[in-house]
Amino acid sequence: MEKYRQSVSRSEPGCVVILLDRSDSMKLAWGRTGASLADGAALAVNNILLDMCIKATTEVNAPVRRYFDVGIFSYGARLGEPGEGVESAFGGVLAGRGLVPLPELAEHPVAVREEPSIDLMPVSARMPVWVDPVHGHRTPMCQAIAVAGGHVFDWAAEHPGSFPPIVINITDGMVTDSPYDGATLQDWVRRLTSIETDDGATLFFNVFLSPFEVTEIVFPADPGGLPPPGPDLFALSSPLPQPMIDNAAVDGYDVRPGARGLAFNVGRSTLLRVLQIGTRVPDRTR
Amino acid sequence: MIHTRHVVFYAVKHGNAEAEWEDGAAAAPADGNGRGPRFAVADGATQGFGSARWAQQLVAGFVGDEGAAPDLTAAALHDWASAVRTRWRDDPRLAGATDLQRLKQATVGSFATFLGCELLDLAGPRPRWSAVALGDAVLFHVREHRVVAQFPRIAPDAFGSNPDGLPTDAAGLTAMVGRASFAGGDLADGDLLYLATDAFAQWVAAADLRDRRALWTTLAGLDHPERFRRLVADRRAAREMVNDDVTLMRVRLDRAPAAHLVVCL
Repeated sequence: MEKYRQSVSRSEPGCVVILLDRSDSMKLAWGRTGASLADGAALAVNNILLDMCIKATTEVNAPVRRYFDVGIFSYGARLGEPGEGVESAFGGVLAGRGLVPLPELAEHPVAVREEPSIDLMPVSARMPVWVDPVHGHRTPMCQAIAVAGGHVFDWAAEHPGSFPPIVINITDGMVTDSPYDGATLQDWVRRLTSIETDDGATLFFNVFLSPFEVTEIVFPADPGGLPPPGPDLFALSSPLPQPMIDNAAVDGYDVRPGARGLAFNVGRSTLLRVLQIGTRVPDRTR
Repeated sequence: MIHTRHVVFYAVKHGNAEAEWEDGAAAAPADGNGRGPRFAVADGATQGFGSARWAQQLVAGFVGDEGAAPDLTAAALHDWASAVRTRWRDDPRLAGATDLQRLKQATVGSFATFLGCELLDLAGPRPRWSAVALGDAVLFHVREHRVVAQFPRIAPDAFGSNPDGLPTDAAGLTAMVGRASFAGGDLADGDLLYLATDAFAQWVAAADLRDRRALWTTLAGLDHPERFRRLVADRRAAREMVNDDVTLMRVRLDRAPAAHLVVCL
């Protein structure tokens, strides 16, 4: 039977996990924005969380619907227990939580404050914030995948009929902890993507940020021409399933057969668009 | 004189509560001033805000339950839909809205496919239907187990690709009403009209190609909401029908007036 077709509903919610690089290099300025990579990544993550809450808001006097369980795991600098490592990036009431149901997430941002427009327009808006920008230390990506994988494994076992978990890794650097616990980065990704629901295997997508204004490469079907670590990330990234190929095409991307869930050297607004495409699972529009 | 007897069946999207049906269906008898019986179905956007209210206000407005019913012309429909939009936007219940709800109403709003139908000259020499459609809610005109007319004509594999409908943003509404399509057809004693929202209509269009006699016998024989829900559940389980809110309105035309009123409890 065709995979990746299950729509999200409260009886069969989806699962989105974002792995957020908080290593030292995330302090670099992101293009002409004047803000750091960490600032931009946090802004994009907060934007996508708000998007998901808005989509699950249907009517006055009705709670936000539990269409997704969401986890944000950061790797590099830790806030909870200072030093290098992996932790839930949620703060406030949600601090330390793994996967959080969307209605609970909507209830508990750490702040509501004025935030800049992600597309560099000279406007700002008050919006909820769940994740703050942080940077420091190295890039323990393997450990991040291991931690997220534990949550994803449990979730998939509890939701066999759901669209498979989507794990999106936002990074600007090279993994520094491979091998971790006896397994390489490739091994950890294989373990993660071997976790399945009846609707398919866990999807692992990668977004590579660059502080420089260079050509963006979004959803490539071929690793040729990608500068390092592009080919490695290409090999680690899941092929885009058909519903996301359709989403990407609607958003104007020329997606070729075999396209991978990889966006390389992206700017801030592209990061948000990629997150939107990668988290938009099949649903009835009417 | 041809009489009409109608019944509405619906089933919510699997996984949703009964109260979360986001379609709308309404019917009204002739008004005594020349307007014939009216029937309408609408399908509110799952991803919109206040979609059930929008769909249900549209169908109620079209049949005349909330002020004057519009004529079936693009200009009249535009004025009417704009007034419905104002009522939807200014609903007093929104006084209790959260920031997220206000944001979604302002930035996303709602959208609904719409199908409205009026029956004309039922006591005269040329009884007929006249309808307007925006989107993929479909009217099937059936006579002796055969489709006489399908409006709009949509192939089973083309459902979901039609972007038309009525949005709640003013500019979009004006543009969309201009895309409304109109059709009509002559009626005869014993005819059946079915108005269906897209998921059910798509299944009907496909089933009609496979075994039309079985399909139309089944639909004409539906006599209880539970039988309809079982039909929908079975077709969903067989992956023949998309998991969505579904609505089917059946209008039977008969020279004999109804002898009984049936209430299903």
